[in-house]
Amino acid sequence: MNRFNRKSMRRDFLQNSYGGLGALALSTMLPGGSPGYVSSRAAGSQADSPLQFSGPAKSVIFLFMAGGPSHIETFDPKPLLNRLDGQPRPASFGEAKYQFVANDAKLLGSHVTYQRYGESGIPVSSLFPNIAKCIDDIAVVRSCFGDVVVHSAAQYELFSGRTTPGFPSMGSWVTYGLGSLNDALPSYVVLPDPDGALEAGQPMYMNGFLPAAHQPIMLRSGKSPILNLAPPSHVDRTTRRHTIELIAELNRAALTNHDDELEARIDSYELAYKMQTEAPQVFDLSDETAETLELYGMNQPETEDYGRRCLLARRMVEKGVRFTVVVSGGGPGNMQWDAHKDIVENHDRMAGETDRPIAGLLVDLKRRGLLDSTLVLWGGEFGRSPEAQSSKGRDHHNLGFTMWMAGGGIRGGQVVGATDEIGLKAVENPYHFRDIHTTILNQLGIDQDQLTFPHLGRDERLTQIHGKVIREIVG
Amino acid sequence: MVQTGSALLRRRSGIVGIVFVAFLLPYQNRGVCGQEASGDESNSSNIQQPLQVPERSVKEKSVDLFQASVLPILAARCYRCHSSQAAEPEAGLLLDSALGLATGGETGRVVVPGHPEESLLIEAILSEDNPMPPDERLSQLEITTLTNWIALGAEDPRGASATVEITDPDYTLARQYWAFRPVEEQVIPPVQNEAWPSNTIDRFVLAKLEQNGLQPAPVASARTLLRRLYFDVTGLPPTPGEVAEFEKDSSDAHYAKVVDRLLDSPRYGERFAQLWLDLVRFAETEGFEYDREMNGIWRYRDYVIQSFNNNKPYNQFLMEQLAGDEMAPNDFEHRIAAGFLRLGAVRRNAGNQKVASSRNEVLTERTDIVGSVVLGMTIGCARCHDHKFDAIPQQDYYRLQAYFAASVEDDVSMQDDAQAKARQKRTAELEREIDELKATIANLDGAAEETARLQIAELEAQIPPPGPTICSITNEFEPEPVTHLLRRGDPNLPGPVVGMQTPGVVTRENSCATNNSTTPRTNLAKELTRPDHPLTARVMVNRIWQHHFGSGIVSTANDFGKNGSGPSHPELLDYLANRFVSSDWNIKTLHREILLSNAYRQSSQSADNFAGTSVDPANRLLWRFSRRRLSGEEIRDAMLSVSGELNLGMAGASILLPVEQQLIDQLYKPTQWEVTANPQEHNRRSVYLMSKRNLRLPFMEVFDQPSAQTSCASRVQSTHARQSLELLNGDISNRLAESFARRLEQECESTHGRVELAYQLIASRFPTDKEAEISRCFIERFGLSEFALAMFNVNAFLYVD
Repeated sequence: MNRFNRKSMRRDFLQNSYGGLGALALSTMLPGGSPGYVSSRAAGSQADSPLQFSGPAKSVIFLFMAGGPSHIETFDPKPLLNRLDGQPRPASFGEAKYQFVANDAKLLGSHVTYQRYGESGIPVSSLFPNIAKCIDDIAVVRSCFGDVVVHSAAQYELFSGRTTPGFPSMGSWVTYGLGSLNDALPSYVVLPDPDGALEAGQPMYMNGFLPAAHQPIMLRSGKSPILNLAPPSHVDRTTRRHTIELIAELNRAALTNHDDELEARIDSYELAYKMQTEAPQVFDLSDETAETLELYGMNQPETEDYGRRCLLARRMVEKGVRFTVVVSGGGPGNMQWDAHKDIVENHDRMAGETDRPIAGLLVDLKRRGLLDSTLVLWGGEFGRSPEAQSSKGRDHHNLGFTMWMAGGGIRGGQVVGATDEIGLKAVENPYHFRDIHTTILNQLGIDQDQLTFPHLGRDERLTQIHGKVIREIVG
Repeated sequence: MVQTGSALLRRRSGIVGIVFVAFLLPYQNRGVCGQEASGDESNSSNIQQPLQVPERSVKEKSVDLFQASVLPILAARCYRCHSSQAAEPEAGLLLDSALGLATGGETGRVVVPGHPEESLLIEAILSEDNPMPPDERLSQLEITTLTNWIALGAEDPRGASATVEITDPDYTLARQYWAFRPVEEQVIPPVQNEAWPSNTIDRFVLAKLEQNGLQPAPVASARTLLRRLYFDVTGLPPTPGEVAEFEKDSSDAHYAKVVDRLLDSPRYGERFAQLWLDLVRFAETEGFEYDREMNGIWRYRDYVIQSFNNNKPYNQFLMEQLAGDEMAPNDFEHRIAAGFLRLGAVRRNAGNQKVASSRNEVLTERTDIVGSVVLGMTIGCARCHDHKFDAIPQQDYYRLQAYFAASVEDDVSMQDDAQAKARQKRTAELEREIDELKATIANLDGAAEETARLQIAELEAQIPPPGPTICSITNEFEPEPVTHLLRRGDPNLPGPVVGMQTPGVVTRENSCATNNSTTPRTNLAKELTRPDHPLTARVMVNRIWQHHFGSGIVSTANDFGKNGSGPSHPELLDYLANRFVSSDWNIKTLHREILLSNAYRQSSQSADNFAGTSVDPANRLLWRFSRRRLSGEEIRDAMLSVSGELNLGMAGASILLPVEQQLIDQLYKPTQWEVTANPQEHNRRSVYLMSKRNLRLPFMEVFDQPSAQTSCASRVQSTHARQSLELLNGDISNRLAESFARRLEQECESTHGRVELAYQLIASRFPTDKEAEISRCFIERFGLSEFALAMFNVNAFLYVD
């Protein structure tokens, strides 16, 4: 792995950023496929550095439950909390700082019931009857924690490991580290919820200081999911194809001698054309069977949208997309998992929209043999408070909550870590976001310390300070 | 009891502890030493107690036990991981102060006075799975001692914070590092090729080339040089007329005239400002979840443009930005300049979140940006620990931060008092009504709630817009601002109090400031702009050099420290820095000297590419000119310019372009993108476009515009397919291609003429016969608009040679 940390090369790349070596250095520093969309010609220069990644996972799908799903209502049963419903929190559990809930708030029992599923017998809440059937593929991490209890900062931390914006997201780091498996498609894709945006906004998904090639593509629902993928409607596509040829011809006519950068730009037009023609095929679901569509819940109005996006995520994985984020929740808080007012109404609805699609995705990946190489991560920027907010809701809560992983070499059918008996704090094997990040990188075959980029005098990395691999769940 | 005994150790990284030698620490608390006192104010509270025999005796016992036995145990067995001496205190637990012990760590309190059985400290010590300390169990006697002490009330006579005396490193050696040494007078080096240099800069460049067996490249052609000069100085291409005129007479004298004309053009400030705006991470919204617009912050952008256009001396430029509000509180320009300190992203607090952490983020932003922009140092690294490469101990970071401790946001109204009062009165009335409604809304349901919400929205719409405002800063000395060194950069772990001072490596001896100045930032600005400051001038001349050559003499322009690149031409850097200071920090004089050098006028094609690329592939020695790709702003501005659509209006509130709905949907509040009504304004230069932290223009984003979240000293120049998709399919280029085609059609009769004009506008040259032929055939088949679009995509347009 020592070839990976080619600090000097990357530094040269930055130093020469105006010197015409940018594209060349960029591709040579990125093993395992050309990064983003740097041209195949430039990428050819890496033939002499055939670094192989040995991780079981090739792709990641992050099922981002935005707004903060309650651990108490999903994967972390708390019978004691039900018994203490309406009472103040016993002092022995310690303190928590919430965004809104005051210290004298009363505990709130849960409306969900839990049942044990699968060979592993892991309890899953009544909100997720379908995901429950996949539980033997899932490793539930009940002891996650983060550093902040407000959406924007917590969302930045979930994606980039920092509570402030401006740092690259995990998706950008992964494409920077692994490059693309398919030049005709972006290697990092975000499928936002059509209901609207999230508090942390675009910077949450962005490349920060990594080169622009590692920006995500935001996929919208509707006719033109990728911005600028198609020419304006009044332009004839055949004509435009000739225009692209004209650009290449004029560029070649002006080339006097071999020139890596100018040739890379010529190639980038070929790639753009390839994307233009091949990427739309991903969105064309006409080759999917009715059974598959149903599997994802696309035959039901409440699951149609998330189901479609989960199915698109599978199609992305098949086409070699490295990192796909499928967002559940957007717009005003209650359209996310942000159940301040009424946990029953909110979580019944949000779980109802996602349970079937997520289970469909896991089943479909598995039967196609893709689950072994696709790491699926589920979770939000935090969990929710054991205390009630305005009698029926729950506040944000960052001291202990649940995320889960499946596939990509993760050993499913187990529970790792624990919160205390009311779900206030992670008390057994607590795992920070940076440990989640470290584990994802590990499954992709990347050592967290070796995936670095120089920025303002530091070799920055996703995990900032050292993260832990969650050893219990990796194969 | 749910907590288990291992809670304390969960964050341990598994280091095997080494027993700390007990005698290193005196049993008694050390006194406050040095000028930097500990932050403790309750130090003496235990001393003067009224005489109450029984209580006193228990308390006394506990205190005695602490001094005699508990402290030695803590020091010997716990401090290694749980004290302010530990590099990173485990679990955030600091046992070397009364405050730390009472506060506990990440898992909460560790001592419950009177109740050893409820104390996490004892639980951790007794734990079966994960005993503390991890290396060797405490003896039964030690455990009994701690238990008894807690049972007796856990009295801790120590101060609130550890009275660790700050000891500064000896900076003598560190100050020998080239960047911290005084700028030295330079001897102009001898060269062999006496004919080549046109000025002193060239002598330094040529001497280095000759030392390395390299030759400078021949001078660039008149057309190439003029196009380079125009983009470089103004960010716009020359007109065909200007190119023709220069081709007729490209003498040194004429070239110098053009240089002067361009530096005097208002377009210069618009172009050069971008470098500064990137550096200071200029954006007009606060980021985070509200991404609120900072009222009037665009005035700062105009201030920067005007300052460069007026050739404001750099020292004055810095003074105004660092301390404009202190220097001239009633002068609008000075207040606008001080808006510099408002430019970082701001996390606003909602609900009952503590203010301390977001205040700390603000101070961090202010400290780090001054370190990066003015000092060219990565001082931000020393926020959590001593700098790993440079001699910047953590206390130096907080000493710099201390200058900003009093600084608070201040939105200055530009209205007169009567106007402002009327507006305030109306606003207050409306807000009262809104608050009343909001108070009732919690008790409402369904239709009633909906009605109330509508009423609130109506009232909110009536709030008069704020009058013209300056987004600025001021000082607040009540309560007295105090700066602590923060362990791990955490505001919950305050260490000793520090005074104001710039980093020791660049501080003149005895220049240490006190903590009670009413003009702290003026003091800072004066210190940073003293003529003999080792970094300020070097850092700025390097930026100007980088602007012209693409790479700085120090190629890591924000890192002059040991981890940076170091200077390729140290003598030249000092020569320029000296010239800069002795010309009263005259920026245009420096531009001029660089632009008139032959080093700048070289071709990008060397006579001996092979020698150059083998000796110096990165071209740091300047054996040729380094080609660069146009920035996103330049590409758009040039497309506007050649298509005849460019609106050269200057200044004023920023322009919001129409963008795809799907982008606006990505804003948390879609109302935050109100497209500028007048379409003429959509054709303003890119520097006047709205810069939002949470939504960047895709056009700029794909062409490597920085995120405006952190300081950007030099832009990455990447090449990828999404750039091509943007220029091929994007709205901006497609719309302007139509205009460009119309212009070609109007100005020339023949297809051949149109192709020639297109090339002159796009590339400042005529097409070759081959290019002309290819183009003519294409236009005949597919029309002029598609050709015009292709012209925006060819390398001859996108690159500057």
